[in-house]
Amino acid sequence: MNRTTPGLSRRSFLQITGATGLAAAVTACGAGGSSSGGSSGSLTVLCESGGHAELTKIAAAFKKETGHAVTFVELPYDGLYNRLNSELSTGSVSFDLAAVDAIWLPTFADAFQSLDDLFTADVTADLFPSLVDGAQIKGKYVGMPAWTNAEILFYRKDLFEDASEKAAFRKKHGYELAPPSSWQQFQDTAAFFTRGTKLYGTDVKGAVETEWLAHVLQAGSPGVVLDDSGNVIIDNAQHVAALKFYSDLNNRLKVSPPGAAQLDWAGAQNLFSQGKTAMMRFWAHAYPLIPKDSPVHGKVGVAPMIAGSAGIGAIPGPFYLSIPNAGKNNDLAKQFIKFAYDNNKLAIQSSLGLAARKSAYSSYASKPGYEHFKALLTTLDGPATKSRPASPKWQQIVDTVLVPTIQKSLTQGADHAALLATARQEVEKLVK
Amino acid sequence: MTAVLDRLATKRALLWALLLGVVAAYAFPFLYLMLTSFKTPSDALAVPPTILPKVWSLENFAKALDTPGVTAAFINSITTAVLSTVISLVLAVPAAYAVSRFGTVSGRVFIVVALVTRMVPPVAIGVPLIGMMKTLGLTDTPVGTAIAHTTISLPLSIWLMVSFFEAVPAELEDAAKVDGCSRMGALIRVVLPVVSGGVAVTAIFAFLASWNEFLFALLLTAVKAQTVPILIANFQTQYGLQWGPMTAMATLYSIPVILLTLVLQRRIVAGLTLGAVKG
Repeated sequence: MNRTTPGLSRRSFLQITGATGLAAAVTACGAGGSSSGGSSGSLTVLCESGGHAELTKIAAAFKKETGHAVTFVELPYDGLYNRLNSELSTGSVSFDLAAVDAIWLPTFADAFQSLDDLFTADVTADLFPSLVDGAQIKGKYVGMPAWTNAEILFYRKDLFEDASEKAAFRKKHGYELAPPSSWQQFQDTAAFFTRGTKLYGTDVKGAVETEWLAHVLQAGSPGVVLDDSGNVIIDNAQHVAALKFYSDLNNRLKVSPPGAAQLDWAGAQNLFSQGKTAMMRFWAHAYPLIPKDSPVHGKVGVAPMIAGSAGIGAIPGPFYLSIPNAGKNNDLAKQFIKFAYDNNKLAIQSSLGLAARKSAYSSYASKPGYEHFKALLTTLDGPATKSRPASPKWQQIVDTVLVPTIQKSLTQGADHAALLATARQEVEKLVK
Repeated sequence: MTAVLDRLATKRALLWALLLGVVAAYAFPFLYLMLTSFKTPSDALAVPPTILPKVWSLENFAKALDTPGVTAAFINSITTAVLSTVISLVLAVPAAYAVSRFGTVSGRVFIVVALVTRMVPPVAIGVPLIGMMKTLGLTDTPVGTAIAHTTISLPLSIWLMVSFFEAVPAELEDAAKVDGCSRMGALIRVVLPVVSGGVAVTAIFAFLASWNEFLFALLLTAVKAQTVPILIANFQTQYGLQWGPMTAMATLYSIPVILLTLVLQRRIVAGLTLGAVKG
């Protein structure tokens, strides 16, 4: 029989399998260089892309001193949470240590190694109290602060130092125009600088919760949403007062641009950079990052976060270095964490310029370009500054209760007490 | 007569206007993204936003290309997408052919089950995939990511190929068999060339599914096999959103698929109209 449609010839078969084998060999390893995860001589650090820079110089110094290379796996913020959640829940981890947001520590605390031996008296003395509190979950230190941040007050120096503005303000309010330090001064100043749609006194961010929570602490609440014992306190007098102060800026005084309910950090930062707001409560790292082509570049001043009846208060935004129980290089990882703490000052030379130790910030506070450190130090040391509650449900509380409550409060005629009473019921359901 | 012609011309003009409106609605976000990539940092965030850049600048492209690992990420994206497309076609073509030609109940059940797998949220299979890839030693490799991406593209590929195969008359194969072809020979030498347009369409869909995939790439890659979508997402950090470099990177990342679509355009159109002649 003349076979006219045979299968593959031997030559074709060898060509195809050879090509496939070569392709497999080429593609088995990616193009991104060698991954060091799991090998005993190097470390793999999982981190958020924005925080990566904070550890770069420290990693280089660590390699120089110990010979151990550090490889970073950069992920977007939400992606980092998903990655931690999936890997820690399977117990199969691809990293040796991770830079973890403070609000995630309670969720993953059981999967992280104890770092109690690193928290000596000298170490805790040089860290902000709120950071030490946040590192300890169920009596165990599970993370070493790597860098921290807090909201401070940004203001337009060109407006605040203008002689005619100063005179007009004094005439209207009977006291000197200066960066506000109290709720009343903040409202006065914001109202003073609101000039139709050209300039607003400040912004009100409805899509994020931290700023309102800072005001809750300033009002003297023993905690935000939950007290230290885990009781729900979201409807106490301080929460109500802070929500009223916050929403009044938008609803009653109308000193913020339209669209407050949807405004987030990026939007608020953008409004200020475009010269649309005279003041902004924002994370300190943004001070050196104002674009050079911004109309307010070189015209921005900074001051500590405003104070309420309990004094200056803010919610710190720290990231911690933690070691997974299932890690393969735990001794080396701990060595890196100690090195990172000892050399915390190196983090300040990064693009974000944030550190965790008081001494690191203090050593730069008087240098030009680091004017925001003084305000940050004062804010982080503020009497009302306190970490968010150590609840594994925190992110859920934020997404499903806090942000919707703030957004509802930004409508005319909102009943703040009723909103918070409803919020209390919702939070209780979540934490039960 | 003139009135009828006028009415036809008006109708055609309205249809064209509608068509242009739909195309503009679809194209505008991408066009805006491209234009933003040429804006200065402050211009990109202007309030109110502007469509055209005040000053045309390549600064964002320089920043995007200066991102560590960008070349490797592009190579990884191409490798992963090509691998995933090949795996998808190698599995989908015989599966679809068997379902189409044998017409068995089990075959029909199979394609329904294949469709049902599309209804499972990818995040639900993300965690098991991590464990499986770890066991197979395929985490952080393009092969592992490509296999994961195939789970997304394969059901659609099978369904597409089934519809293309069903458009080919069985008589063509019978004729090939009369001429001495085996079933496989008839598939390779006769049927596949007829449905080459359909294969191109399926390949494009499989390629795009992998090219744009984010979640599995996020969960299964770290350093060696990280793809561009992860790099693009990294421009949004806790500390700000870098619109300029992000849009520049997204623009650059769009170029290969636009070129691929243009190159395969004729085959895609042929593939899309293949089922239309079924009779």
